[in-house]
Amino acid sequence: MARGFRLSSELIAGVVVGAGIGWGFDRLLSTSPFGLIVFFLLGFAAGVINVMRSAGVAPDRTGR
Amino acid sequence: MIDPIEQFNIEKLFTIGHIGHHEIAFTNSSAYMFGSVALISLLMIGGVSGRRLVPGRLQSVAEISYEFVATMVRSSAGKEGMKFFPLVFSIFMLLAVSNIVGIIPYAFTISSHIIVTVALALLVFITVLIYGFYKNGLKFFKLFVPAGVPIAILPIVVPIEVISFLSRPISHSVRLFANMLAGHITLKVFASFVTMLGALGFVGWFGAVLPLGLTVALTALELLVAFLQAYVFAILTCIYINDAIHPGH
Repeated sequence: MARGFRLSSELIAGVVVGAGIGWGFDRLLSTSPFGLIVFFLLGFAAGVINVMRSAGVAPDRTGR
Repeated sequence: MIDPIEQFNIEKLFTIGHIGHHEIAFTNSSAYMFGSVALISLLMIGGVSGRRLVPGRLQSVAEISYEFVATMVRSSAGKEGMKFFPLVFSIFMLLAVSNIVGIIPYAFTISSHIIVTVALALLVFITVLIYGFYKNGLKFFKLFVPAGVPIAILPIVVPIEVISFLSRPISHSVRLFANMLAGHITLKVFASFVTMLGALGFVGWFGAVLPLGLTVALTALELLVAFLQAYVFAILTCIYINDAIHPGH
C-alpha cells in the first residue's frame, strides 16, 4: 500500500502542478485554453517522469 | 454506526489570542505536537545526561536514533549534508514519535492532516530553494537542464523538469498524509465491524473473530507504516537537500 501511494502521489502531483501552472498562465495572459492544454500535457509528462524515477526505472537525473 | 472520520476532528482546547479577527486556538492537534516534542526532548536529554561509556537503555535509544539519521544524511546527501542534520533529525523524530503516538487508541495523529505535512514539506522545499541559490547562485538552474540532452529537445525537457521540481512538495506531503489517513480509517472500519457483529448476539461473536484478528494485524502494519513513512519523509528531505548542494549531478 505504501508503494502504491508513493507512485500515485508522484503522478498526481505532476499533473496537478502542470494544470495549476497552465490555469495561472491562462488567467494572466488570457490565452485560454491553450496554456492549460500545453501545461497539462507537460505536467502529465513530469508526473510520469516522477513515477519512473521513484520506481527506479529511470535514472535519478540523466547523466548521474 | 461508528464514524471512521471522527477521529480526525480538530477540537479547540483554549484560545491563545486573536490576530485581526482570526482566532488563534490551541487545539488537540497542537497539544499532540507539544506532547511529541516533550517526549523527544525527554528521550534525548534524559538519554544523554548520564553520559556513560556503556550506554543504558535510554541512552542506547538516543544514540541509535542519532546514528540512524546521521547515516541516512551521510549516505544520501554526503558529508556537506551534515549541516542539515538538525533539520532532518527534528523532522524525522517529530514524525516518527507523533505517528507512533497516533496508533494508541483514542490518540490523535497530527500527520493525518494535510496542512501539517504540507507545512513540513514546504519548509524543506523553501530551505532547498534558499540554500541552493545561496550556495550555487545561478548554477542552481542546472538542476533543470539534464546533462547530455540535445539542444533541440531542451525546450520540452526544461519545462517538464521545472514542473517535476515544483511538484515535489505536493507528492512529498500527500504521501505521508494519505498513508496515515488511509491507515487509520481502515483500522477504524475493521474495528467497528467487531462491535457491529458483536451486537448481533452469539453467532455474531464468532463472525467478529475475523475482523478482530485483522485489526490486530493492521495495528502491527500501522506501526510499521508509521515508522516507514517518517523514514521516507526524512530520506526524501535528504535527497532534495542533496540536489541543493550538488545541482547538475
